[in-house]
Amino acid sequence: MNIVTIQDKNYPKLLKQIGKDAPKQLYYKGKWNKEIFNHCLAVVGSRRMTIYGRQVAERIVGEVASAGVTIVSGFMYGVDATAHQAALKVGGRTIAVMPCGIDLIHPEYQQDLYAEILNNQGLIVSEYEGSMQPALWTYPRRNRIVAGLCQAALIIEAGEQSGSLITAEFAKKFKRKVFAVPGPITSENSKGISQLLKEGAAAATCAGDILREYGFSSRFTPEGPYATQKTHNSLEIKIIEYLQREALSIDAISRNLGMPAAKMGTILSIMQLKGQIQQEGNKYYLC
Amino acid sequence: MLIKVQSAANSGLNTIGIDVEVNVANRGLPGFDIVGLPDKEVQESRERVKTAILSSRIEFPQKKITVNLAPADVPKEGSAYDLPIAVGILAALTDCPIPEKSLFFGELSLSGDLRHTKGALLLALFAKENGYKNVFVPKDSANEAAIVRGVNVYPVENLHQLLVHFLERESILPLIYQPVEEVLTDDLTEFDMKDILGQEQAKRAMEIAAAGGHNILLVGNPGAGKTMLARALPGILPSLNEAESLEATKIHSAAGVIPPGGALLVQRQFRSPHHTASQVGLIGGGSRPRPGEISLAHRGVLFLDEFNEFPRSVLEALRQPLEDGFVTISRSQERVLYPARFMLVASANPCPCGYLNHPKKVCVCSLQQIKKYQKRISGPLLDRIDLHVDVPPVDVKELAENQKASEFLESSKIIKERVILARKIQQARFAEDSIHVNAEMKNSHIKKYCPLAKEVERILQQAGVKFQLSARAYLKMIKISRTIADLAGVPEIGVNHMAEALQYRQKNYGQEI
Repeated sequence: MNIVTIQDKNYPKLLKQIGKDAPKQLYYKGKWNKEIFNHCLAVVGSRRMTIYGRQVAERIVGEVASAGVTIVSGFMYGVDATAHQAALKVGGRTIAVMPCGIDLIHPEYQQDLYAEILNNQGLIVSEYEGSMQPALWTYPRRNRIVAGLCQAALIIEAGEQSGSLITAEFAKKFKRKVFAVPGPITSENSKGISQLLKEGAAAATCAGDILREYGFSSRFTPEGPYATQKTHNSLEIKIIEYLQREALSIDAISRNLGMPAAKMGTILSIMQLKGQIQQEGNKYYLC
Repeated sequence: MLIKVQSAANSGLNTIGIDVEVNVANRGLPGFDIVGLPDKEVQESRERVKTAILSSRIEFPQKKITVNLAPADVPKEGSAYDLPIAVGILAALTDCPIPEKSLFFGELSLSGDLRHTKGALLLALFAKENGYKNVFVPKDSANEAAIVRGVNVYPVENLHQLLVHFLERESILPLIYQPVEEVLTDDLTEFDMKDILGQEQAKRAMEIAAAGGHNILLVGNPGAGKTMLARALPGILPSLNEAESLEATKIHSAAGVIPPGGALLVQRQFRSPHHTASQVGLIGGGSRPRPGEISLAHRGVLFLDEFNEFPRSVLEALRQPLEDGFVTISRSQERVLYPARFMLVASANPCPCGYLNHPKKVCVCSLQQIKKYQKRISGPLLDRIDLHVDVPPVDVKELAENQKASEFLESSKIIKERVILARKIQQARFAEDSIHVNAEMKNSHIKKYCPLAKEVERILQQAGVKFQLSARAYLKMIKISRTIADLAGVPEIGVNHMAEALQYRQKNYGQEI
């Protein structure tokens, strides 16, 4: 059985610092490499992620991970899963902390992501052994490990009662830096974020804000969205200009450009095939 | 004295000839019996016939009357035997001649009048096929029977009138068919496409669905306008052609839903059963199988609002008729085939609370709940729906003031003209096939009529990888692009047609989110 106890020299230092909150033992899957814990960022957020949340997670987390920071999250659907994916996409490392026994994949349908984390030198970690089912109380317990493993926590989209706020509370308690990504104040998913910002969390609007905390610099040179580089078609550029402001439905785009939905459908399908835009729910957004 | 009168019995859409033999015997105890497997309605016919004859001021004989309905082993049901039985008794009493090669059919009221009886059209068709010259039917049902040319349809008001006709004192004149200007119900003219603000893509999808007879699924938040879109559909559908009209009218005649004096159906039917509908109500059935909503919607529209609120067993029963265009209902007593070639329009909410992806309201459902809700519609059923369309909520107030938005508004009339043109192209294409519209195309038809240019094929293949399209989804895309090309009046399917078709692919609904 893969297990690291608190007496072990391989036990993550930062986690040990949290004192009596530190788990007595950690079960894990994957290859335990002490270096993976050197620079960790907890990324948590709403399960009901919006398109905005997805864009933010992909943009910021991807850049942070590619700079060499390990992304730690809770393997839940929504922001958690997107953060893991964003890290994997840029070849970064990521740790998933499970709220259930180490032998369980929860949620089960994310088994592809699970396998991918393990295949890319990532870790699956839990303080519970065997195939213990997750319970209401294991989620907040799990959050303390997520916060404890990291120098800083990044919160992307959180509602009023969001579990992500529990992670933020733990991070504060453990004297870790808390970053929050501002969202539109009209969104339900921004209420928790606004609260955090008022209480003194740092606003993160780009990867640089976070990397500075680690003393890293971004390896990315800032550039425009992927989409604009690939087209010279004036109509496509116009559509991209609209989508840079906000995600829009096909109806809204065709109204804005004064073009029938039939023709707009043709253009959007082709842009989608070219990989310039993506669709989620009924809205299009830039890749 | 033995009298033989001809009538007919309908079983589903099939009709068989029935000999009604009436014997009025001078010997034996007075009585009135019907034999030949009569059911309750036919048994009760004795009282109706007896009283109707008395009401026609003819004395009912105190003799032993035996009525045999032959062939004796076929169960008889319905009230249509009243007239032939009464005619038989009258003939036995008065010695009046019964015209040869004639069929009698109709229900009697106690006053001697004839009442509207279901199935008159089927009777007339049977008469024509089997060389009968005359059919005598209730006046209210006569116009329906007169649709069939080449048979004399006599509209009979009451028994007395018929007797006078037999005695050649005053003839009843055969009825000549009169088409009835169908009055569109409020339901059908309630919504015009131009009254629906926004929803540009959904309206376009409705146009494509109407043009190619494609099934369509509308998914959207409550109040987004799904029902309104569906109810506007009859306004852009072309009228039934002659053959289609006869097919549909036959089913309605068998179901007995044609009103008195009714005629050929001209408008496509729009049936919208509530989601509490039973399987038998929707598919058809009963111990004497009656057509269900899917058959009444034949060549028309079946609108299932709140699609995933229907019981799963009921929805799954739709699969076979959606594929085959007919339904065979087998019961212990009989086996009936009803045509059911309809266009399915289904509407559904994205989640139990309805507000998933709503711009303003917050969805309170968990992912599990949403999945469970969407999974109520099975994959095979979703596979049989060609167009999948999102109907996002609209800010009506904002749109009403938006100049650009109002430029797009097209009335149903204009859309209907395009639909009719596209249907004409299809009619010409399928002249030698047994199908009418693109949606009905099978693999062989697709091969024959939808050759794809290289670059179109490439787009489709790219999309197949990107959107993970199944083999069946490929075919759906080809069918839809064929219809889009037809709407544009273009013989070849182009890249732009295929690209637009991809918009209507099956997205998340029913799949992993």
